[in-house]
Amino acid sequence: MVQLRPRPSRAPAPAEAMVDEGQAASEEAELGLRLGQPSSGAAAEPLEEDEDADGEWDDEAPDELTFANAQAEAREEERRVRESARRDKALLKERRKRREELFIEQKKRKLLPDAILEQLAAAPQATVKKLPGKQKEATLQKKKECEKGSDSKKVKVQKIQSVSQNKSYVALRLKDQELRDARQQAAKAFLQQALYGPGTKRTTVNKFLSLDNKRSPVKKAAAQFLNDTWGTQRKQNAKKFKRRWMIRKMKTSKK
Amino acid sequence: MGEFKVHRVRFFNYIPSGIRCVAYNNQSNRLAVSRTDGTVEIYNLSANYFQEKFFPGHESRSTEALCWAEGQRLFSAGLNGEIIEYDLQALNIKYATDAFGGPIWSLTANPSGTHLLVGCEDGSVKLFQLTPDKIQFERNFDRQKNRILSLSWHPSGTHVAAGSIDYINVFDVKSGSAIHKMKVDRQYMGMSKRQCIVWGVAFLSDGTVISTDSAGKVQFWDSATGTLVKSHLIANADVQSIAVADQEDSFVVGTAEGTVFHFQLVPVASGSTEKQWVRTKPFQHHTHDVRTVAHSPTALISGGTDTHLVIRPLMEKVEVKNYDAALRKITFPHRRLISCSKKRQLLLFQFAHHLELWRLGSTVATGKNGDTLPLSKNADHLLHLKTKGPENIICSCVSPCGGWIACSTASRFFLYRLSYERDNISLKRVSKMPAFLRSAVQILFSEDSAKLFVASSQGSLHVIQLLEGGFKHLHTFQPPSGTVEAMCLLAVSPDGNWLAASGTSAGVHVYSVKHLKLHCTVPAYNFPVSAIAIAPNTNNLVIAHSDQQVFEYSIPDKQYTEWSRTVQKQGFHYLWLQRDTPITHISFHPKRPMHILLHDTYMFCIIDKSLPLPNDKTLLYNPLPPTSESDVVRRRTAHAFKISKIYKPLLFMDLLDEGTLVAVERPLDDIIAQLPPPIKKKKFGT
Repeated sequence: MVQLRPRPSRAPAPAEAMVDEGQAASEEAELGLRLGQPSSGAAAEPLEEDEDADGEWDDEAPDELTFANAQAEAREEERRVRESARRDKALLKERRKRREELFIEQKKRKLLPDAILEQLAAAPQATVKKLPGKQKEATLQKKKECEKGSDSKKVKVQKIQSVSQNKSYVALRLKDQELRDARQQAAKAFLQQALYGPGTKRTTVNKFLSLDNKRSPVKKAAAQFLNDTWGTQRKQNAKKFKRRWMIRKMKTSKK
Repeated sequence: MGEFKVHRVRFFNYIPSGIRCVAYNNQSNRLAVSRTDGTVEIYNLSANYFQEKFFPGHESRSTEALCWAEGQRLFSAGLNGEIIEYDLQALNIKYATDAFGGPIWSLTANPSGTHLLVGCEDGSVKLFQLTPDKIQFERNFDRQKNRILSLSWHPSGTHVAAGSIDYINVFDVKSGSAIHKMKVDRQYMGMSKRQCIVWGVAFLSDGTVISTDSAGKVQFWDSATGTLVKSHLIANADVQSIAVADQEDSFVVGTAEGTVFHFQLVPVASGSTEKQWVRTKPFQHHTHDVRTVAHSPTALISGGTDTHLVIRPLMEKVEVKNYDAALRKITFPHRRLISCSKKRQLLLFQFAHHLELWRLGSTVATGKNGDTLPLSKNADHLLHLKTKGPENIICSCVSPCGGWIACSTASRFFLYRLSYERDNISLKRVSKMPAFLRSAVQILFSEDSAKLFVASSQGSLHVIQLLEGGFKHLHTFQPPSGTVEAMCLLAVSPDGNWLAASGTSAGVHVYSVKHLKLHCTVPAYNFPVSAIAIAPNTNNLVIAHSDQQVFEYSIPDKQYTEWSRTVQKQGFHYLWLQRDTPITHISFHPKRPMHILLHDTYMFCIIDKSLPLPNDKTLLYNPLPPTSESDVVRRRTAHAFKISKIYKPLLFMDLLDEGTLVAVERPLDDIIAQLPPPIKKKKFGT
């Protein structure tokens, strides 16, 4: 004989509250009703206690939640969430704006003052053409190369139509030239990639020329065994130091 | 002959640029070669493979394709998107048209020579029509997805095969639409992630399209059905070029490993009419990529990144089997890149974009024949002069006193004044050079460094007097008749009275500098001149031609000298005539008027006019016999040509003073050491 716990009888929920919460209540009511009937001959199933776990011994009726209330609550929730999201976004935007301004400020501080910039822009470019003088050091050459490169860029930018008699200038749209250069660079990059890029089986000239040396009956060293380019700066410094030391030695020995 | 101290110079860091395209012209038997720095050289294959003309390079012009069209017109196209036509008479660029398709990868001319097709980076194939003085854009073909890397016309001119990445398209010329799109396998019998680049295509008249690609395959396609017929795997690396003979019975392909393969159409069985393409001969004459090949009726021509131009005559096509059928490998330039100032022992080296001035070292030691003397003072790199602008230097010269340097590019002329105080030199540029000096083909200073002679590309010769602060234009010699057709060479007599200029088809002109008028003309010879020089005192003009003939012409008498007539009557030794490389410089001994000193790349020779001439039976190259031999034997075997092959490869050799010679060598290994990386060769055991 199945012993059932005495359960509080549940009145079926009023019809108005039937919409969503009511569904749950009606389900509970159904369950309660079902459980109220003794199961015919089957073993007793353990009772589920969760439905009325809290208000077990309370005789109170569950709180009546009207639909309107619940809807209002939900809307409040949504509004609150939206507000907080908007506030966050606004905060982030503020922060970003402040950082941008800071960067611009810093950049401005780095550049020369406006007055000098205007002067430079208006200055003639005739001073660009200067002959290279005695250039023995490699560093001097490199500097000249950079200058030459930047000079040519300057010339490109400032080519304008001039009415002077002896000289003739060509008007060039910078955008076209840049597009052309970009395409040419892309084509060259493709060729470089196709011929010398990864996946091609290339080797150094040294290894290539040394293959014969390695296969000969008397094994010889590689074709470019010595690396002359190693430590050029150190060797130059050493040479200069030696010269200076010799001169000093000769002076002191003379005295 | 005398004893000389020889300055052996190896610090000229000359690296030629790699060959990118060759184009063979059947009518005139000339070969146009374009290099990676934009230089285009024209070789006359019938004049002993001599470099006749050249167009200086330009930094922005990276040529990718070269072709001849009807009427001896030469076109090139490159990655800067322009089609350039070259003027072979005036030795400059006629015009450059932008094709508006981005960088251009391929250029080909109609078999009838009336139209040009251009394959561009954006996948479009553009058709241009040739008008008598320009080219006219006609229309675009269907635009493809990928860049068009190679083009080939069908011999009838109705269809075009275009190779791009992973696909080959066959276009119908009339409608411009792509009929077939043939997909190329990325790897022979396999899969690969790397795209297959179709480097070369060729269209045969029976509708077969031959393609070579980066997977190392040569494939035969049927253009009527758009299907693959046969596939050959010939290399582990890219097969980069293909050229078909005119009779379409053989073609040649070049691979990135440096091998050149010859394919021939041979009958399947002897006597059967059915033929098939068979790979017959491999040639390994290159170490680096063979970027371009050409097929002339009798020879296979190949060129690539290792800067050699190799011409291999095919034995079955050559009629007379003599020395002409030997392999020709052109590595070193056929003109002088070095000038020398004898008084101050300076050498001026000409590079593509800069000049270097070096002072030779000196030694105080003495030794006997064959010794290497230690230097007491090393050679000094005095000056590194960069020219402005993207153009290459055409020619340069240093004055004999060492006080002036002149060089010319296609658009500018530079003249510098050097002054020496103690050990320092200072340079000052002479500004405001006149416009007519631009694009000079040859520059020469007079012996006393007071006058400058400039041969311009239009054929006129300018005489400029050099003053302390500047210069004064004295005179211009106009070409008497005809136009400049070959490389112009200049020579001035040491006393400053005579100026010789070669370059017109009428022969070598001799001008009198004192009276500023034409003195005489040496009769024309059918081979181009490779070097000229005027002897001191006797004023004999010595001319060396590309077929190794040497003439001596007396300027005051206006006729060939006795010695020259004797030599011509007897003829040169056969070994002398079989030399590969042309004579590039002639000089004289100040105290010995009977000696002429000349050199080519692999030998230098002192011709002693007082000794008897060798005939074909005597030994041409007989170095100094050991002193144990009796005097009689030595006198009997001695002949006029004293040849020495100790210093090679020689770029320049000159007599500095009575007892000193300077020899500028450029070992081939030093050039190879600075080339781009080659394809790896796997050898067992390494």
